[in-house]
Amino acid sequence: MSLNKILDEQVITTNINAKDKNEALLILSEKLLNAGYINDISSFLEDIYYRESLGATGIGNYIAIPHGQSDSVLRNGIAIGKFNQEIQWETLDGKGVKLIFLFSVSANHDGANEHLMLLAQLAGKLGNDDVIDRLLKANDSQEIKQIFTSC
Amino acid sequence: MNIIGIAACTAGIAHTYIAKEKLITAAKNAGHNIHIETQGTIGVQDEIPDELIKSADIVILAIDVKVSGRERFADKKIIEVPTEIAIKSPNKLIKKIEEAISQ
Repeated sequence: MSLNKILDEQVITTNINAKDKNEALLILSEKLLNAGYINDISSFLEDIYYRESLGATGIGNYIAIPHGQSDSVLRNGIAIGKFNQEIQWETLDGKGVKLIFLFSVSANHDGANEHLMLLAQLAGKLGNDDVIDRLLKANDSQEIKQIFTSC
Repeated sequence: MNIIGIAACTAGIAHTYIAKEKLITAAKNAGHNIHIETQGTIGVQDEIPDELIKSADIVILAIDVKVSGRERFADKKIIEVPTEIAIKSPNKLIKKIEEAISQ
């Protein structure tokens, strides 16, 4: 299984300006909407914020992985955004975040779904500090995609 | 030292797999053998083989939810932490495990 299948350049964006968490999540959700991953931004964000209320999704090293299962999700996928500013977030190391991985996961999945397995595989790579270093230095969406498919 | 364990988080989508990766890296860097099973939305992956359970010195449960198959570790020393700890300070956690074993 290749991560290429879930790494979609339509929803990988770099060089984004956002003043706060809300704006950052909104920008990435709009990408997901335009690329056909979700059908409703506000109900999607409601489910994302529900997960946020359960515990920090900022895993340290400037990375956040907001996610949640939502009825508004049409396709499982992941929006990746690299921001020019450090955005305030609930994180494990007290720092803000610069890279956001917004998981869109359908609430009606059938267990061992291939895309969910790929998302899990991708999440695992975020546990690797070398990968994070390279991601933080990446300049465009192609480079981000390459880092995941080459590690 | 032979470490086995389980990672499982609330949503079972992301933290589980990050915790697993962090634990494996930290344990290997400290020179230990480690096998981590994940229990997530996609089910159980990398189920711990029986022979590894037999030879394990310690069990680490990095979990935010109830996990299945806990009875497999009935006679083992268990350290239980939230996934957050495994993600935030995996090296410290491995040190704590080393201390627990030497006691």
